[in-house]
Amino acid sequence: MTKALAIGASGLSQHQLKWLLVVPLVAFFVLFFVIPVGLLFATSFNPAKVGQVAVVSDISFDNYIRFFSRSNYLMAAGRSVLLASIVSLITLVVAYPMAFVIAKTENPARNTFLLILVLASMQLDMVIRLYGMMVILGDNGLINQIFQGLGLTDGPVALMYNFRGVVFGLVQFALPFMILTLVGVIKGIPPSLEEAARSLGASRRRAFMRVTLPASMPGILSGSLLVFALSISSYIVPALMGGFRVGVLPIHIYQQVAESARFQFGATIAVILFLISATAVAVYLKLGNRSSGGLA
Amino acid sequence: MERKIPLPMLVLAILGFCYLLFPILVVVLAGLTTGEFLTFPPKGLSLRWVISFLNSEKYLSAFFFSFKLALMTMVVSTILGTAAALFLARSRFIGRAALRAFFLSPVVLPGVVVGFALYAFFITSGLGISRTIWGLWIGHILYSTPYVIGTVGASLATFDVSLEEAARSLGASPMRAFRKITFPNIAQGIQAGSIFAFIVSFGQFEVSLFLSAPNSEPLPIAMYNSLRYKFEPDAAAAGIFAITLVIASVLLTNRLVNIRRLLERQDG
Repeated sequence: MTKALAIGASGLSQHQLKWLLVVPLVAFFVLFFVIPVGLLFATSFNPAKVGQVAVVSDISFDNYIRFFSRSNYLMAAGRSVLLASIVSLITLVVAYPMAFVIAKTENPARNTFLLILVLASMQLDMVIRLYGMMVILGDNGLINQIFQGLGLTDGPVALMYNFRGVVFGLVQFALPFMILTLVGVIKGIPPSLEEAARSLGASRRRAFMRVTLPASMPGILSGSLLVFALSISSYIVPALMGGFRVGVLPIHIYQQVAESARFQFGATIAVILFLISATAVAVYLKLGNRSSGGLA
Repeated sequence: MERKIPLPMLVLAILGFCYLLFPILVVVLAGLTTGEFLTFPPKGLSLRWVISFLNSEKYLSAFFFSFKLALMTMVVSTILGTAAALFLARSRFIGRAALRAFFLSPVVLPGVVVGFALYAFFITSGLGISRTIWGLWIGHILYSTPYVIGTVGASLATFDVSLEEAARSLGASPMRAFRKITFPNIAQGIQAGSIFAFIVSFGQFEVSLFLSAPNSEPLPIAMYNSLRYKFEPDAAAAGIFAITLVIASVLLTNRLVNIRRLLERQDG
């Protein structure tokens, strides 16, 4: 009896001890994530007043009415969604063969080497990667030099400071996330599936199209959602590769807040961007894919 | 026997790797160019811009500012993240998966929005830390801790809990069982997680945008501000140091934990 009580007591204290582990981070997230974002939501329902940051008790829907009645902002939202969708699609097409090769490389050293390349580029500061992109894509950049050297074009082709440039930059940004998501899924497909299709007389291409590709579908879906959420949120890529000529939502937020001190309207755009991004993330989580080990 | 990887697939993959890596190579070459302006291919190789970077007040101070900020972030993220990962691995709490998703969510939510929210919060709450290193510190902890949780979580997933239970049943206190059994087994995971936290903070741009002040900026912000107007080869030279730091970190991570296993499927 006393022994059972002792076990019960120690079980309880251990249980409490476990909660002590997570309380600091929960407190940190509530204080510096939930409350600030919550206040931002509240700010978006305040009447617009230039220069005022503090939340007031007046409720107004004017900011949202303004957002949804001005074609300028609606088009920015549409452009953001379109951009992120195009980037998801292109990133998928570019990343799939890379992920396939990584997944099928069985030599451990070679496999690790390829993963290190992907991981190192993912961890490298985006500004540095864009510096390289700008040198390659600029009017006097490498590609234009080659084109003109070969006589393909007379003058420089505008490869950046436009929508196209932002797409190029975002694909470079998103590739590692897509690759890591796909590698996990492709690795999980039993080779016997494709072998079975082959032994039944399917050509290699047909076996790939009918077996391997459909079996990669969960990774394709969650990778695309992840890339969508990441690229719609990016400020740095549209800023540098679009040269502020491609007005997507993050650019508008910065302009409203930092340049015009319109906190309420800036908060409204921020809330709309946050909700679009969070929806994509929620669907991504719903799919239950954690193939990138929580690193993506 | 036919090759495992069809040739068209291999060619496409090589092109993809060029897309991923060539811009990085370009930065290295640009930082080592002899020319006054950034041209490609470089006119010749020299250390002149590296030396110029080492003498430049702007980039060198930004580099060290980022380094300091990343170290500060690393310490807090490692402690908070490891503790939370332990909880998530051991608790049978019903909302565990939701809590994990909540902790990981900053990584995929817009950094500009979170940075703006923090900036407004710092002003209205009167904390007096908007546009200071302390405000940046808080923003960076939010974005770095998820990586610690992911990495430590992965090493806890491969650790056999029954070892710790055995120590407990032999009379070790919970603290002692943790110190003697669990900790040594996940120590390398914690180290790898802290390296991730460091490097994520070091390269963080989006959340820093609203939170940094002129004259005390992290390196990505300083580089961005100059890149908006003109290409400076000493910015590329600063980039070389950052690239070296990232490659060293990833290699070190790979020595500590099996990167291949780290990136594999992980549940709970």
